[in-house]
Amino acid sequence: MSSTASQRALDYLEQLPGTTFTKLYQQPSTALAIFRRMLPHLAKNLVMAMLYMPAPFPIADLDAWIKPDSENAQAKDRALSILQRLRILEESDGRSYKLADAFARSLRLALTGGGNHRSFGVPCSTPDAKAMTVGWLDTFARQQWEAILYYVVGSVANATLGGEVQEISEGTKQLLQKGEFVTVKGSGARAATAITEKGFSFLLQEVNAQIWTLLIVYLEVSGELQMDPVDVLSFLFTLGSLELGISYSTSNLTPTQQQMLEDLADFGLIYRRATDTSRYYPTRLATTLTSDAPALPNSSLTATTTTQLNNNAANSTFDLAAQSEKGYIIVETNYRLYAYTNSPLLISILSLFTQLQTRYPNLITAKITKRSIQTAITSGITSQQIIEYLTAHAHPILRRQAPILPPTVVDQIRLWQIEGERMTAWRGYLIRDVGSQEDYEKAVQYAEALGVLRKEFRSKGWFFVSRMDQMSGYFKNLAARRREAMAAQAAASQSGRSSAAPP
Amino acid sequence: MNAVDATNRPEQPDEAEPASLLTIILDTNPRAWAMIADSLPLSKTIANLLVFINAHLAINHANKVAVLASHSERAEWLYPTATTTPDREADDNPNGAQNGDLQMQDRDSAGSGGPVLLPIDDANKYRPFAHVEHTLLRNLTNLLSTTTPNAISSSPATMIASALTKALSYISKQSAALPAATQSTQFNYSDPTSVAGGNDLSNPSANKSSSTSQPLTSRILILSVSGDLATQYIPIMNTIFASQRLSIPIDILKLAGDTVFLQQAADATNGIYMALDTPTAHAGFLQYLMFAYLPDASARAHLITPGEGAGVDFRAACFCHRRIVDVGYVCSVCLSIFCEPLPDGTCLTCGSHLSVGNYGLRPVVVARKKKKKRKEGRVGEESRGSTPAVG
Repeated sequence: MSSTASQRALDYLEQLPGTTFTKLYQQPSTALAIFRRMLPHLAKNLVMAMLYMPAPFPIADLDAWIKPDSENAQAKDRALSILQRLRILEESDGRSYKLADAFARSLRLALTGGGNHRSFGVPCSTPDAKAMTVGWLDTFARQQWEAILYYVVGSVANATLGGEVQEISEGTKQLLQKGEFVTVKGSGARAATAITEKGFSFLLQEVNAQIWTLLIVYLEVSGELQMDPVDVLSFLFTLGSLELGISYSTSNLTPTQQQMLEDLADFGLIYRRATDTSRYYPTRLATTLTSDAPALPNSSLTATTTTQLNNNAANSTFDLAAQSEKGYIIVETNYRLYAYTNSPLLISILSLFTQLQTRYPNLITAKITKRSIQTAITSGITSQQIIEYLTAHAHPILRRQAPILPPTVVDQIRLWQIEGERMTAWRGYLIRDVGSQEDYEKAVQYAEALGVLRKEFRSKGWFFVSRMDQMSGYFKNLAARRREAMAAQAAASQSGRSSAAPP
Repeated sequence: MNAVDATNRPEQPDEAEPASLLTIILDTNPRAWAMIADSLPLSKTIANLLVFINAHLAINHANKVAVLASHSERAEWLYPTATTTPDREADDNPNGAQNGDLQMQDRDSAGSGGPVLLPIDDANKYRPFAHVEHTLLRNLTNLLSTTTPNAISSSPATMIASALTKALSYISKQSAALPAATQSTQFNYSDPTSVAGGNDLSNPSANKSSSTSQPLTSRILILSVSGDLATQYIPIMNTIFASQRLSIPIDILKLAGDTVFLQQAADATNGIYMALDTPTAHAGFLQYLMFAYLPDASARAHLITPGEGAGVDFRAACFCHRRIVDVGYVCSVCLSIFCEPLPDGTCLTCGSHLSVGNYGLRPVVVARKKKKKRKEGRVGEESRGSTPAVG
């Protein structure tokens, strides 16, 4: 469900230098969040098994622990590869694995409690005179987040759809431009924003992935603003471990983190009163950062709530949201689509890839046509995103059946996309001149086991991989081993010749 | 154009693992703990167990845990707290009062019903962990302080059967309570075995193979210290078969004592059975937990589980005197086991009159004649067709 979200964060983390990791892992909350969010299931079990192991874990023992068929071996290689990319696992002297010290220490601290790191957030010692309810926080978060989405989609939305949406802050607008979700054309008062390809795919992601996408842009920008990325990241991971509905104190935050609070409040991740800056409430958007739970209780954003916040109808809207949690879209086999919504945001999102037909007070009807899908595809939306969006927001009636969406429609959407594309582009590395046929086979097998092999050109002795770091390690090892063998061989032949030399 | 095929749906590796519910049954028989207090006192066990529980909760956000104490005279919930315990007002949860059902206060429900402020607000501990630890310790202290010396001396055994029953009912309640939405969002298009209509119950094999139809994988871990459970043979076996049916593995970690039936439980349900009898093994208690017992069902698919291949003691206890027997008498109607010939020839369980010709002789194992295989197969098919499988 949220694998896209964690993938996005993983990609960002990977390109950080090793020292950053060491600094990051000083915080138990960060270690815990990375452990929970980024690792595949098998890797988690490996880490836990090794966490209290007094000595390094011999590679041979590890191999003996995993079931010996190829599928499991692949799963193991994938787990080890991610662990090494995140600098959690270290290979000591080539024969055994051990956990990185900083990570192991922090994770142990997280499990046992104790220490004095205060990384799980300091709750306010004094109760808030006017404590915020969970429902109110949800409404606030939804309102803020929808405003951002609406700003992104706004440029293509039909203005007559109506609905008041609050303005988003200048900083957020700049961030959206930096992330290339929107572009600004023109200048001054006549400036108009236009959605980009990235913006389209941003809109169709699930909320959790959206947040991470935006936060990663934020992280990239924060570097330019002289903010320490370690500080920023560890604060984000801390937010993920906070509890909803409790106010936390800002007293122990670093200046960078204090600065972040304002931006995060703009995104709706936290709520802070303008008058009382010593406490903040994390919203559900923040507390689900490092989990799989839906980021908004009403994940379909069926919100009619954007304007109701001021009416203080928070509680009733929360109930309403809980009812409609399950989704709102019905797709029929005849390509007709019914959506129970009156939210301008949702309607404009649907209008990206469907042809709207009728609008009723609580329902719109639309049709999925070849033209509508191909328009969407030319503007950068993929068929996969459309299908995922429809699946994620399917009405409970559709959910009762399996598959959720009619297969005819799903296949046809794919076909419409395939019609226009005959090529797939991958960024990666071409490896050639590997050596003998046997070396080539081995290298290809290794790449396949790692899951990085994209394509092999067997006749030419080339192959193409998506990641290089481990492959280069493999080749280095191979070269070293060969050199040793050569040296040994040379020594042997030397001694052989000298003994055979005639007197 | 014919070459274009959109029905070729590439299989995407499903990273999201199903949530898993770990139910731990802690044998708190005071007498047995006193015996091993030198190498592994209860306090140390609890401390290690808490780390293990935290590790389980850390693995997946949706993971849940439940802890039961199998005490000398009753089984008691340690976590989550049953709301009927004295220190929690009944009107705290009106639903519980209405349907007369025990309401369990888990941390999730606590979150939705408004925050519960813990007495310990520690910024150095992840709150869910702190919550479990606090509740568990409080309930355990309650349990131990309310145990009278009288009760200990009167019953030397432990209430494993009762604890297992409670655990199973909790698991089934939790599985039922899980919303259907999560079930269907995990649906995978590329799975050809899935049938339209989602009628999973008619197809038990598909039920097992795909994680989609079982959104909550559960398992039970029993920390056993006392031996001799022969008095509870029947209820224990019933719970074992129930969990076998629900495909819930029962893992056994035996710290002391000798328990024939628990080994059978692990064997029948594909659980892990390990005996940590020696003081050196006790010292590595936590490592054993983390290494062998932490992987859940989906991780065990990749791993070689320890403790396999050991000879399992399949002996049963008789229904009349609760003795463990190698060879006994079996009622031909209800399959009850008796250690000696029945005095009046009437089965104690079902009341059938058993008229046996050479009554009182030692039973002899007679080699069965081999039937023709093909015929047998056809008969099997027919009978499967005519007898509706119980879902």
